[in-house]
Amino acid sequence: MSDLTLTNITKSFGKVEVLRGIDLTIRSGEFVSLLGASGCGKTTLLRIVAGLEGVSTGKVEIAGADVTDLPPEKRDIAMMFQSYALLPHMSVAENVRFPLRMRRVGTREEQDAKVKAALETVQLTHLADRAPRQLSGGQQQRVALARAIVSNPKVLLLDEPLSNLDARLREEMQVELIEIHRRIGLTTLFVTHDQDEALSLSDRVVLMNAGAIEQEAPPREIYDAPATAYASSFLGAANLVPARIAGGLATLADGQTLPIASGAPDGNATLALRQENVDFLSEGGLAAKVITRVYLGSRHRYILDLAGQTISVLAPASVMLEPGSEARIGIAPDRIRILPG
Amino acid sequence: MTDRRETWLFLLPGLALLVVGFIFPIARMLVLSVQGPDGHTVDQFARFFQDTFYPSILWRTVYLSALITAICAAIGFPLAYIMARSGPRVRLWLVIMVILPLMTSVVVRTFGWMVLLSRSGLIASTLRDFGLVGRSFQLMHTETAIVLGMVQVLLPFMVLSLLGVIIRLDPRLEEAARTMGCSFLQTMRRVVLPLAAPGLLAGSILVFTLSASSFVTPALLGGPRIEVLAGSIYKNVTQTLDWNFAAAQAVILFAGIALLLIPYLRLGRRAHG
Ligand SMILES: Nc1ncnc2c1ncn2[C@@H]1O[C@H](COP(=O)(O)OP(=O)(O)OP(=O)(O)O)[C@@H](O)[C@H]1O
Ligand SMILES: [Mg+2]
Repeated sequence: MSDLTLTNITKSFGKVEVLRGIDLTIRSGEFVSLLGASGCGKTTLLRIVAGLEGVSTGKVEIAGADVTDLPPEKRDIAMMFQSYALLPHMSVAENVRFPLRMRRVGTREEQDAKVKAALETVQLTHLADRAPRQLSGGQQQRVALARAIVSNPKVLLLDEPLSNLDARLREEMQVELIEIHRRIGLTTLFVTHDQDEALSLSDRVVLMNAGAIEQEAPPREIYDAPATAYASSFLGAANLVPARIAGGLATLADGQTLPIASGAPDGNATLALRQENVDFLSEGGLAAKVITRVYLGSRHRYILDLAGQTISVLAPASVMLEPGSEARIGIAPDRIRILPG
Repeated sequence: MTDRRETWLFLLPGLALLVVGFIFPIARMLVLSVQGPDGHTVDQFARFFQDTFYPSILWRTVYLSALITAICAAIGFPLAYIMARSGPRVRLWLVIMVILPLMTSVVVRTFGWMVLLSRSGLIASTLRDFGLVGRSFQLMHTETAIVLGMVQVLLPFMVLSLLGVIIRLDPRLEEAARTMGCSFLQTMRRVVLPLAAPGLLAGSILVFTLSASSFVTPALLGGPRIEVLAGSIYKNVTQTLDWNFAAAQAVILFAGIALLLIPYLRLGRRAHG
């Protein structure tokens, strides 16, 4: 049984078409992240699922029931806002209890128990009586999370829930999210524009581009085998280099050739080269010109000119090349992804 | 050091105005109210409470003001909410519409109400045509007329106080409430209303004090028989020239309003946390 089904969703604000035919099915208990550049319509899609925004056309189904025309309070969902949206006139515990109270879940004692359990999950039991404004950003965020999971909704919607946190807290929260999901197993739709977050948290990544779904696949697959040029450039800073394929060899614009895995059809293509898959050689391979070197602590990032294309390459800190000099690079044939066009 | 002095300098004009225009007359009024032909006396206050005539005027003043405040709040809250949630252009027009009554003179406004409320006015004649009321029915010179007229003038104070607070509320709080199971009306009651409490409080204080101390509109719309305290004071000052009694009534009105404001201010302190 699928818990959330979106069928051909379109949405326009006035003349601007923001969503262009979204079809998406999320299985019960699945954790799906919605990944995409700023302004591609992630939040809009989430708000449509929540019922905060109407659709122009299309259908939203939750647990088999058509909810397209239901207001938010009649849908069994919970949403965590990017701004947390904690109610400032209520304590932490009252905030967490609020969805239970409004949805009339159980007796007061049962609600107490659920609130306590939810606060334990996010490790905030000791702050139950505080007002939201007396909490740090990370604590507020965890309250918002507790409030979202407390009523055990059919669908949990998270809109960039970790985007306001510093790197360390963010990693802690990611681990916590995985833990919570493993324990409670809520059907979750998670919006982010951070690809690492999408890859590390979810069962499936849905990549959006300009209001449409570009590709949906499990994290490994979408990372290792992006289906389109957009997908490969968005995921993991792949470099795109045009080439002509013929007989197991790719010829670049400047005439240099490199071997590729067999099976690619002859003709024009785009090579997607991941920055961590490019190796520096002492001789042989391809010639590329060093444009810039960026020190990253454990590594160097080199910006190179390869056959007229600017590419970015990660190298160990021990590799020291001066800008302006020539570098020799190689890529294992099975690490080259060949995209049509 | 200089900061201190500059603060005082800034305060001076307001302070001077307060002393000359408020403290001094109030002090003078207090003195007048206890002044008798031979030394200090509480005769004026005794006279006020000696029969039910003046207490009933006081009571009318209080309950009419409370009623006016309640009606202003009931109309003003949804209006302010709509204004806060509409676009800037629409909001501007709504603000202009709401404060329009303040820009017209009390005479014009009263005349407008007379056209509507008098015995031959629109409302009375319509009701008469339907046979719902008798020949002598009129709304002019009733408490209803006073309430209508005062609500019209005081509504802007309530609406603008509320607007200032509601416009600063994050609409996402309401959306969050909706996703947590609140209907629209529940969201109003559980989220917007409690968070707008400071504005409601400020507006109520303004409306209540302004309506308890106003006398022109009540005098014109209520007529000579339905008196409020401020009108009675005015009469004593200008017609019977009984300044001591007028002062005593003013003290009672002043004390009454101050007394009612204390619990309100308590509430306010709580709302501000
Ligand atoms: N209420 C609205 N009226 C008009 N246009 C809107 C409205 N809401 C969103 N848009 C437009 O729709 C597009 C998608 O917006 P949306 O908020 O869904 O993007 P997003 O993918 O969530 O971006 P981000 O990562 O920056 O949050 C944007 O171009 C935005 O300008
Ligand atoms: Mg967004």
